[in-house]
Amino acid sequence: MKVLVLNNMVPFLRGGAEALAEQLVRSLNATQGVQAELVRIPFKWEPAERLIEEILICRSMRLYGTDVMIGLKFPAYLVPHNCKRLWLLHQHRQAYDLWDAGQSNIPNTPRGQEIRNALIEADNRCFRDCEKIFATRLVANRLRHYNSIDSEIMMAPLNDPELFVGGDYGSYVFCGGRINAGQRQHLLIEAMKFTRSSIKLVVAGPADTPADAACLLDLVERYDLGNRVHLDLGCVPRERIAKYVNEALACAYVPVEEDFVGYVTMEAFSAAKAVLTVSDSGGPLDVVRDGDTGLVVQPDPESLAAAIDRLASNHHTTIEMGKEGRMRWIGMNVTWPLTIERLLA
Amino acid sequence: MKIALCSSFVPFVDGGGRFIVEWLARKLLENGHEVERIYLPFVEDPRVMFAQMAAYRLIDLTESCDRLIAFRPPSYMLRHPCKILWFIHHFRGYYDLWNTEYCPVPDSVTGRAIRDTVFAADTATLCEARHIFTNSRTVSDRLRQFNGIDSEVLYPPLQYPERFRSDGYGDEIVCVSRIEHHKRQHLLIEALSHTQTPVKLRLCGIGTSGSYASELEALTHRLGLQERVILEHRWITEEEKAERLARALAVAYAPLDEDSYGYPSLEGSHAWKAILTTTDSGGVTELVVDSVNGYVCAPHPQALGEAMDRLFRDRSRTSAMGRAAYERVLDLGITWDNVVRKLLT
Repeated sequence: MKVLVLNNMVPFLRGGAEALAEQLVRSLNATQGVQAELVRIPFKWEPAERLIEEILICRSMRLYGTDVMIGLKFPAYLVPHNCKRLWLLHQHRQAYDLWDAGQSNIPNTPRGQEIRNALIEADNRCFRDCEKIFATRLVANRLRHYNSIDSEIMMAPLNDPELFVGGDYGSYVFCGGRINAGQRQHLLIEAMKFTRSSIKLVVAGPADTPADAACLLDLVERYDLGNRVHLDLGCVPRERIAKYVNEALACAYVPVEEDFVGYVTMEAFSAAKAVLTVSDSGGPLDVVRDGDTGLVVQPDPESLAAAIDRLASNHHTTIEMGKEGRMRWIGMNVTWPLTIERLLA
Repeated sequence: MKIALCSSFVPFVDGGGRFIVEWLARKLLENGHEVERIYLPFVEDPRVMFAQMAAYRLIDLTESCDRLIAFRPPSYMLRHPCKILWFIHHFRGYYDLWNTEYCPVPDSVTGRAIRDTVFAADTATLCEARHIFTNSRTVSDRLRQFNGIDSEVLYPPLQYPERFRSDGYGDEIVCVSRIEHHKRQHLLIEALSHTQTPVKLRLCGIGTSGSYASELEALTHRLGLQERVILEHRWITEEEKAERLARALAVAYAPLDEDSYGYPSLEGSHAWKAILTTTDSGGVTELVVDSVNGYVCAPHPQALGEAMDRLFRDRSRTSAMGRAAYERVLDLGITWDNVVRKLLT
């Protein structure tokens, strides 16, 4: 069976979706009787007028000699194929929930409305023609709400679980992942000035823009946190990320309404570390339970500071929560072989 | 510098066209550049071809990279203010193979209109390039003839030329190449039946079908050459290839009208071996100068047989031509340093 995985790309940018797409292709190729390849279509969403062209680009592409297509993201999933399944990582949120939240780059003008309607219409047509749609819980809810489409819940497994084996519980909280305003690493740095314990914070990952990096660097300097906050910004090798996780006391992950549990969460649990998150983080709340596998607090620096102090002072409880997180994660049985089986069923 | 390498591909058909991109990407990374490879699917079906070309055209990479290097058609239809081409072939069915069995449309009013449109779209978008390099004089000649466009030949080097070596000069003329009818291994076997010396012929490689290999075997038997023809009809690893070339007397490569000089002749040159080829082998004759770094014979068994005898008898001359073959590669600038310098100037 020949399976083509379709993802979009922003040249020179790599994030969780890219790693997932590559791991999906590897896992497909490791499945008996399956041959898989990845197609990445460049995507540009600024200005909003571009979206019409992006839809047209994908709908004009053709795939021959392929038995099954698996689409991951807008607009790549619009490429025509008569045996299409979606593992929907994202719709174009600017036309859906971010539009409702007033955070869309599509202008709220008559023309903006037209663009948004064209996008939704293209999505609806595509979704209707799909054989199956899989999505995370949050994306599935949005699909139901905005497109009246039912989908099956599916979580993404960890790409390299063998790296996240745990280790000693050190004296820092670790926060990994991409760095941008939506991931709110700045909240954690601001929290550090309110903490009473001597615990440290390590933030590591690639900044989306130089401005995102500068923002964190400025905060550390402004609050004079140089000896308590370690920033390791850039494309940090996976092995180093794993070392940060394996030797941390706990991990922190505080995004705004993330669609997805997040690799940061899965890596932490895999390594038996408690996860500190916030009440509006979205996906992580599927698995992080307050006082059980981690802490869930209000998304403000003072609340986060209190939580960080709690993790530091109740060392034993923190370790126990990490171990509970690991048990919970293993029990969810989110593995690549099972994922492939469902996608191709 | 941020460099995007763009090419087209047919999913699940891994042609040589991707190697040149992958190898170049590696060298550019070694030189400290940021590289993104963009492979877009393309189906060469006249019914849907123009829609796909339009899709390529609509893709906007202008702000994503400092330089765009395009390879296989129609990747040069992408827009960029600093577009460089390493043009490796046309849509040949509409160009030099027009009105042959490889041509996808009939020579009718409609067929000619499609052909004219391909020409117009190609010429217009090729002209946008800041510089056009090709992989051979043959391809440069076609660009001049069909599109009226000047270009510069930039021969693609081997990925790891240092892998090849010479351990002296044995009794075998070696041909490592796909076993295909147009590669004309049968001609080499027929030539061997005309030799006076005990020179041997080793043919290594796989083919798309086993039938031609069977024909070669039958031919060997019919001519009573079982003792002197060694046929290895299988995938040959790079190490095996280097090993066989190291001990070879010379290499033979006599395809029918090939576009490029052919990797077999370049590999032979890096192993310090003279190259036996024919006057109608196309690009190979750009590399081989008769009696300097090999022999360029008429494509007849008799002539090739005489050349094989000369290679066997006059060993000091054969080894001198082998050394000259290596020097010729350097003279032509077939090195990655040269390629990187040219493509980034």
